Amino acid sequence: MANRQSAVVAQHDRMSPWPFRLAVMLSCVTFPLISIGGLVTSYDAGMAVPDWPNTYGYNLLLYPYTTWLFGPWDLFLEHGHRLLGVLAGLFAMGLVAVTYRVDSRRPARIATVAALVAVTAQGGLGGARVLLDDRQLAMLHGCVGPAFFAYCVALASCLSPKWQSLVPKLLGAHSDRKMLLDQKLRRFTLLLALLFYVQLVLGAQLRHIPVTAGPWLFNMSLLLHLTNAVLLTLSVTVLGLSLRRGRVEPELRPVVSAMAVLLCIQLVLGVTTWVVKYGWPYWFAQSLFAASFTVHAKSMTQTGIATLHMAVGSLILAAAVLTHVQTRQLLRAQLRNAPRQTTPGMVK
Amino acid sequence: MAVVLGVCMAGCYRVSDTFPPNRVYTVRLERAFRQPFEPQRQAELRKLMTDLFGGPDQPRVPAEVRSLGLFNDEWLAAAAGPVGSDKGGRSKGLFREHCAVCHGVSGDGVGPVAFVLKPYPRDFRRGLFKFKATPKGAKPTHEDLRRIIETGIPGTGMPSYRVLPAWEIDALAQYVTYLSVRGEVERGLIDYAAGELRPDQPIVDEDATDEEQATQRRVISDLVSTVARSWRQSESLVTPVRPPKSGRDRNASIARGRELFLGDVANCVKCHGPSALGDGQTTDYDDWAKEIDPTDSIALAEYCRSGALGPRPIQPRNLRLGIYHGGGRPEDLYRRIHNGIDGTPMPAALIKAPNSPPSTKGLTEDDIWCLVDYISSLPGTSETNSSP
Ligand code: HEC
Ligand code: HEC
Repeated sequence: MANRQSAVVAQHDRMSPWPFRLAVMLSCVTFPLISIGGLVTSYDAGMAVPDWPNTYGYNLLLYPYTTWLFGPWDLFLEHGHRLLGVLAGLFAMGLVAVTYRVDSRRPARIATVAALVAVTAQGGLGGARVLLDDRQLAMLHGCVGPAFFAYCVALASCLSPKWQSLVPKLLGAHSDRKMLLDQKLRRFTLLLALLFYVQLVLGAQLRHIPVTAGPWLFNMSLLLHLTNAVLLTLSVTVLGLSLRRGRVEPELRPVVSAMAVLLCIQLVLGVTTWVVKYGWPYWFAQSLFAASFTVHAKSMTQTGIATLHMAVGSLILAAAVLTHVQTRQLLRAQLRNAPRQTTPGMVK
Repeated sequence: MAVVLGVCMAGCYRVSDTFPPNRVYTVRLERAFRQPFEPQRQAELRKLMTDLFGGPDQPRVPAEVRSLGLFNDEWLAAAAGPVGSDKGGRSKGLFREHCAVCHGVSGDGVGPVAFVLKPYPRDFRRGLFKFKATPKGAKPTHEDLRRIIETGIPGTGMPSYRVLPAWEIDALAQYVTYLSVRGEVERGLIDYAAGELRPDQPIVDEDATDEEQATQRRVISDLVSTVARSWRQSESLVTPVRPPKSGRDRNASIARGRELFLGDVANCVKCHGPSALGDGQTTDYDDWAKEIDPTDSIALAEYCRSGALGPRPIQPRNLRLGIYHGGGRPEDLYRRIHNGIDGTPMPAALIKAPNSPPSTKGLTEDDIWCLVDYISSLPGTSETNSSP
């Protein structure tokens, strides 16, 4: 047993940092990619370039950059979004290549190939959205983006040599009670991540609401989005409190704190997004600030805040997924350690 | 699974080639004449309307309207159709990009977001507008519509589109006119069919002699011309604003304005309340809500089932905030008080000649300026010092 353990440690110490680095770079490209994707929606620039994969007949990569940089703003966004997409694809390819060279673990290889498949499919979906000029497809495309980003972040964490080497070091600090808590935490964080994702989809539904939809669809999505916001706030509060009480592994502190801070920002952004888009609710009609407030369509404030709301949403989702993945990793480490105490209750 | 769901939903929400019919108004006439609109009549109406005005993607202008020069084809094409832009970066599908989420593709005011807004977005199909330089009953001018789109309406969901280039605002204003003309003609046809024809009688009988058909078509064409001419005329109906007499005493004018405000000729107090907080008559409805019989719950249920939004009482403005929806310049306020606000309970002032005897009921132009002065003096003052 001891041999196997030291072998594990040794293996992780030898792990090449390159897959991790590439996964981080992929995440770093994906974040602006989806944020600019959000801006594309804000400016309804999705159809600024009506063909695909070409840009006005030019090959995507050969489109004259002067027209791109100094042309119309919506063309700048849409073409830029496509170029970033290509970059993400390249990073994903690099990631697969490097992982196949330096990492012999099957799950790692499969996971990186999955990333490549996903980014390609997402590009195809974006193309279909343009060719069919369809808002619901745009919404689907918009929903896959953040999920992909969260996946990349989780993947980076799994490929991280630091986390992998951290795990064996934890092996000593183990108790049944803790393991039970961690198992609960694993389920809880999975649910949390799912709910955050649902929240994102509902938000996308509100943004991409088809103009022919009846009011019921918008009303229902809005109601669910708000209810879920309350639910999520409560859940993150519970998680934060457990962390403070020491019921959660301290290794999770950075990611949980980040999630809590981002959530506070997100709540403010959500309210602001509503106000800059639809004005103050009628309850405030008798106050000067509300009565004198005019919505400014497509203004910098309006599009900026809506896009920030979406971008922070993706970050929170990634944080939630990361919390879950790291919880799993911790748990796995403890399980690996478990055979040493075959009889429950035996003092170690 | 998500992909399948997405593709299915994509199919459901395509904008159709024809505008949705005005169901709510049909129901209203069905109720009034106690006679249902047969499916073939509904189909005929829809076809007639499409022949005249085209659909959301291909708007058409009937010949009667074209001859009046009300529409500019280039603007119309840019405002209609799906969202996008052409190679030169000129936007297309402006209305669907900017307005349809609230005002609906047909301008019926029941876009997906409409329900959560108060007041509701405007239903353009009645040709009825609140904030304009023309009297009640007249159409707004192109300039009035432009102003609303450019500045928006504070305190409501109606946004300002200041960021758009001037020609796009022109195109949108014109598209609002197009949807209104179309909507009014549709209502006219529904009126005609319900009031003048037997339930099974088509509006244009394909089996009738050519002569009869020509007569039937003339009804439609007269209707279209009447509507289009009412829009053409609006420019000439703008209420003139003569500036107040120079050298008037502002304090005296405010005092007189207050007297009028509280008095029973102008009777502003009835709705706006003694302290002008807008807390007088607060249970009345606007004309759009009145059309669906807001106090008759059985009728209302039927209207709502056919797509109407539930009515909400209209609130008179709180004049102490000093925020005006139709523009805050003295001439805007003058016109608002002189003409009232169309589609709302706010009445036009009863005007009397300047040198009629004092016993004649009504307000002179000077009186209206006094009211303007009084109202302009309200913001920032405390409520008590003007209560009676
Ligand atoms: C966020 C929702 C929203 C959007 C988007 C919107 N409107 Fe409106 N609009 C409203 C509301 C609400 C009103 C009613 C205001 C009132 O009754 O005081 C209104 C009223 C109007 C009026 C009537 C003004 C009057 O004098 O009666 C016009 C014209 C109009 N909108 C045109 C447009 C056009 C054109 C666009 C697109 C460029 C647009 N609106 C986009 C919500 C919206
Ligand atoms: C029958 C009720 C009624 C009466 C009488 C009435 N108003 Fe109003 N008034 C309203 C309502 C309702 C509105 C809000 C209309 C809207 O925007 O929907 C309004 C709005 C206004 C506005 C705001 C216009 C803008 O551009 O925002 C002014 C100013 C005003 N009224 C002045 C007066 C004056 C002066 C009188 C007396 C001559 C008067 N009102 C009488 C109901 C009334």
